[in-house]
Amino acid sequence: MENNTLLGVRDLRVSFRLDKHDKHADFEAVKGISFDIPENSTVALVGESGSGKSVTSLSILGLLPPENASVLPGSQILYGGRNLLDLSSGEMRELRGKEISMIFQEPMSSLNPVFTVGYQIAEVLRLHLGLAPKQAQARVLELLNEVGIPDPAAKSAAYPFQLSGGQQQRVMIAMAIACNPKLLIADEPTTALDVTIQKQILELMAALQDKHRMSVLFITHDLAVVGEIADHVVVMRDGEIREKGSTDEVFRNPRDVYTRALLRCRPPLEKRPRRLAVIEDFMDPGKLPEEAQERARGVSGDEPIILDVRNLGKSFFSREGLFGSREFKAVQGVSFKLPRGKTLGVVGESGSGKTTVGLTLMRLHEATAGEALFEGHDILAMPKAEFKPYKRRIQIIFQNPYASLNPRFTVGQILSEPLLIHGIGGSDAERTRMVHELLARVGLPAASYHKYPHEFSGGQRQRIAIARCLTMKPDILICDESVSALDVSVQAQVLNLLQDLQDEFGLSYIFISHDLAVVKYMSDQVMVMHEGEVVEFADSDDIYLRPQHPYTQKLLSAIPKADDRIRRVTA
Amino acid sequence: MTAYILRRLWQMLPTMLGVVVLVFLLFNWVGGDPAYILAGKMSNPEQIANIRKQLGIDESYWVQMWIFIKQIVTADFGASWSTGETISNVLTTRLGPSLTVLIPLTILETLLAIGLALGVAYVRGSLTDRMVMIACTVGMSISILVYIIVFQYWLAYKLGLFPVQGWGDSFAENLFHYALLPILIALAVGIAPSLRLFRTFFLDEINQDYVRTGRAKGLSEPRILWVHVLRNAAIPIVTHVMANLPSLLIGAFLIERFFSIPGIGREVILAVERSDFPVIKAITVYVAAATMLFNLLADLMYKAIDPRVQLK
Amino acid sequence: MNSPMETTSPGLWALAWRRLRTDRIAMVALAVVALFLLTLLLSATGIVARNWDAEIGVNYAPPTFMGAQSAEERGVQGMHAAEEAVPDNPRDPLADVIRKLRAERGAGAATDAAPVEYYGVVDPLAREIAEIRAELAKGSAATAVERRATLPLGADKWGHDIIQKTIKGSETSIVVGLTAALLATLLGTLFGALAGYYGKWVDDFFNWFYSVFTSVPYLLLILAVAAVLQQKGVLTIVLILGLTGWTGVFRLIRAEYIKHKGREYVMAADAIGASDLRKMFIHIFPNISHVPLVQMSILTVAFIKSEVILSFLGFGVPVGMASWGSMLNEAQNELILGKWWQLAAASAAMAVLVTAFSLFTDALRDALDPKLK
Repeated sequence: MENNTLLGVRDLRVSFRLDKHDKHADFEAVKGISFDIPENSTVALVGESGSGKSVTSLSILGLLPPENASVLPGSQILYGGRNLLDLSSGEMRELRGKEISMIFQEPMSSLNPVFTVGYQIAEVLRLHLGLAPKQAQARVLELLNEVGIPDPAAKSAAYPFQLSGGQQQRVMIAMAIACNPKLLIADEPTTALDVTIQKQILELMAALQDKHRMSVLFITHDLAVVGEIADHVVVMRDGEIREKGSTDEVFRNPRDVYTRALLRCRPPLEKRPRRLAVIEDFMDPGKLPEEAQERARGVSGDEPIILDVRNLGKSFFSREGLFGSREFKAVQGVSFKLPRGKTLGVVGESGSGKTTVGLTLMRLHEATAGEALFEGHDILAMPKAEFKPYKRRIQIIFQNPYASLNPRFTVGQILSEPLLIHGIGGSDAERTRMVHELLARVGLPAASYHKYPHEFSGGQRQRIAIARCLTMKPDILICDESVSALDVSVQAQVLNLLQDLQDEFGLSYIFISHDLAVVKYMSDQVMVMHEGEVVEFADSDDIYLRPQHPYTQKLLSAIPKADDRIRRVTA
Repeated sequence: MTAYILRRLWQMLPTMLGVVVLVFLLFNWVGGDPAYILAGKMSNPEQIANIRKQLGIDESYWVQMWIFIKQIVTADFGASWSTGETISNVLTTRLGPSLTVLIPLTILETLLAIGLALGVAYVRGSLTDRMVMIACTVGMSISILVYIIVFQYWLAYKLGLFPVQGWGDSFAENLFHYALLPILIALAVGIAPSLRLFRTFFLDEINQDYVRTGRAKGLSEPRILWVHVLRNAAIPIVTHVMANLPSLLIGAFLIERFFSIPGIGREVILAVERSDFPVIKAITVYVAAATMLFNLLADLMYKAIDPRVQLK
Repeated sequence: MNSPMETTSPGLWALAWRRLRTDRIAMVALAVVALFLLTLLLSATGIVARNWDAEIGVNYAPPTFMGAQSAEERGVQGMHAAEEAVPDNPRDPLADVIRKLRAERGAGAATDAAPVEYYGVVDPLAREIAEIRAELAKGSAATAVERRATLPLGADKWGHDIIQKTIKGSETSIVVGLTAALLATLLGTLFGALAGYYGKWVDDFFNWFYSVFTSVPYLLLILAVAAVLQQKGVLTIVLILGLTGWTGVFRLIRAEYIKHKGREYVMAADAIGASDLRKMFIHIFPNISHVPLVQMSILTVAFIKSEVILSFLGFGVPVGMASWGSMLNEAQNELILGKWWQLAAASAAMAVLVTAFSLFTDALRDALDPKLK
């Protein structure tokens, strides 16, 4: 099915000017990479953040920001016998959208908010094919139909904000395939979408690729998705290519240690090692992870209950009409019991209310219904002053490690503050000693004490956030998507740390995530939420082996099958 | 829509009441006893008492306040203290000359600023862009007084290109003869800040993802700017222009004063100089009401430009 | 990319300053502003321009480079300064009445007397200065005969040296601009922080207050207050500008507090049990402190411009005090006679300072907020 090369990247080097006054501070984001995209096939460009994968894709279409990015001389992007980097801007415009088109990560912001989707698709048709308005409109309806948007006539007149995220990405795809391009570049097209929607979009893209006999360059951080869609895979790290080859080959027999590590860092679905493999295990050839030892999960039913939540509800109100107001129920009738030392996983897609549950239990949002008994006391109803001693016993780690640390505080200040507020530790010297102990416990160097958050990577910041919670020796730790923003290799490290801390201190976790594999790995019990309500609650192994509710079944089937493929080929 | 307008009008009441209280406090309490000002030279106690009675300021503050509100509602503020002309007459006759200058000025300035701002946004980061921005900063640093004094002296008095000052009876004569130099000066003063502001609006939009999509579609840079970016940037531009209209009415007072244009702004200055409180009070209250209505109008225009806006 | 370095650790302010230092335009602008502030300090302490109101030149003495003028050219030479000394507002038909009323009420004394307390603070050296002035006045009366025919940048209609007058005028205008901006920024920041942080009825109240103040056009409000407050003086004008000018700062600070209140680092502070005040001022404020700083800088420029207009119209600083506005007022009539130097000096001083201040403000904003282009 494959034959000639459609597009060839040769020795591509891209550098970014970080400081407009200082030439020496330039940063080389792509360091001389070469790879081919064959005709009629899908090539996946995989890498973690900072690998240079998006920069590579943008430089193909000449879309890098001209203010601070430059493609270094000697680089070539060969297409149809020409070097795209040598084309004039007019010639480049001819190609864009007609022969090579592109879709992006955030469909909402990638569409112009003040024009109808029909107008925006027709614009490409009028520009490149010279269609008259009427013909263009007819073609728009065909295209919308082809990408699976119901009621194309109505949706064509709709504005982007009136469509769901999945539909917006379908519109972007319709726009991209409107002129039957030879190459479609997709830059993390499903990362912002829920897993069930991701599955639909991936299926659509595969079908279109086949039907239009085009090539797809698929940029992603997610190896599982690669296994689902790609014929070839190119693995990048720090601006260099670590490995390239056919997907089967790379998955079956990864030659590069980094690729090998990436394939193994994700928590497996069918077994539960005591500890996840991390990247250092592979980079250091002498050492291999002890994956064999498995961890048993689940509850027996006679553990002491630390938190008993009954009928929790949270509504938001918005104004409507002259005097009216509308109620939006974010969370409704949520009940569960959290046993001491165990982990409750909360899983759901965006808008399921899972985050709201965590925030209401911390009283960061006030609940509108229900009670939460902590050692028999309802912490939702008590006055604020009375709640304060309980507050330090329930702590939370947020999703975004870049936003959850005050940028104007040093790490020392961040960690000392809770000690001061709660009067823990007798003297400043004592507190400093405690902070240093904690830094060591979460695996950060002592020199971190005087540094500011912006000097740390995402994983390190999440460790700081964990240490901040530990200062107060909590009983319950709520992890709200705490590893979702991290690269997979870092994710495994933070999950291992959380696991160690639970073993050491007997913490109870409420582990909230959209990522089923992670929740399955971490949890004893799992609660599946959908549109503000609990649809299923069971031991974690039961949920995965015998899902009862149709929504749970749908969620499980949407997990990219490559997870199995990785196991299959690497086992 | 109707429900929205009704609610907005309803919400204006407390604000309007606030303005009324503010004006009342300012003139009836902070300002002391106006009878002395009004009595002028003939200040024997009997006459002052007489004036106080006429003005109603021998009554309690509550009664005075009630009188003031009644004046606002019936649009009858009585007569000017200095000229005896009725206030309603003052307002209606002064509005025309003001608008003769302001409407062409606003239209010209907005269009010119949009065009120039798009131009510099197109060459953003270049030397031209930086030079224009610095020129704007320098232009904005010179007092409006200097512009007026120098332009009037040089263009009108010395070169005789324009009338030095004055105002006629016919609309055409006013617009094409007397209003030209005032408009020109106001344009010179107003264009720099508008240009700078609109440029930031455009640059904000240029950094949005949809612009990248437009480029990926193969659109030309001018089309991206004039169609995609302009339509989005029109939202803050409309707010800015609309919100500024009522204060322009006052802001043009220096121009009106120097060129003897019998407009609202000049009337305010005269009233302040003469301590003609009723005129200032009436103008303040009406301009405040106009500002609120224009804000509502701006929000309604929003809806027309931005489909995301939901009026509720 | 962010691997922690071995050494520590500049804070965000230090980083901003480092960025600012590489910006050549900003550094030049900063130097100009510093020069103005230094001159201000020297003139406020009386080291320079103390005797700016001494009549050391002939009336309308031209700048030295233009050469002396004959008596006819000077035209109005015969006019004596004393006759013109207290022109409250020459156009005002009620001027006489008002002056008389003031005299009757005794309020006039404060206005017409030489203002010893410029800024409403008691000058500890007031008596000494008054004595020195008196002596100097005797001296100048003696030397009045030998007034100079030209001065470096000319003289005004009383023969005051334009250089010294401009320095004194700069002092007045800049002090008014800075203090009024400080007042407005403090009010706006406090109100904005309360409204944005607490929300609910506190927010409703301040929003109502805000919409009342913004419904009345700013200039109209200032003029209305000026009309009511018959007492002129630096303190009055600072209060007028400061009390009416806080709205812009309020809007921005409120928006920042609303934004930051929902940020995860504030929720994290909430989770560890930090009090409201702690969250407001120890956590949030340092993260938004660039906003009031930049706003204050913008307001200073705006208030200097407003002061100039108010003083020009005769609603600003009292007669007998130099400010850029009162200089422009005099210069307006002088220009018709061809005496352009006072106009040029006041305009140039103002334009240079305001340009430098604005350029520095722009650079400051860029340095503090690198996202903004």
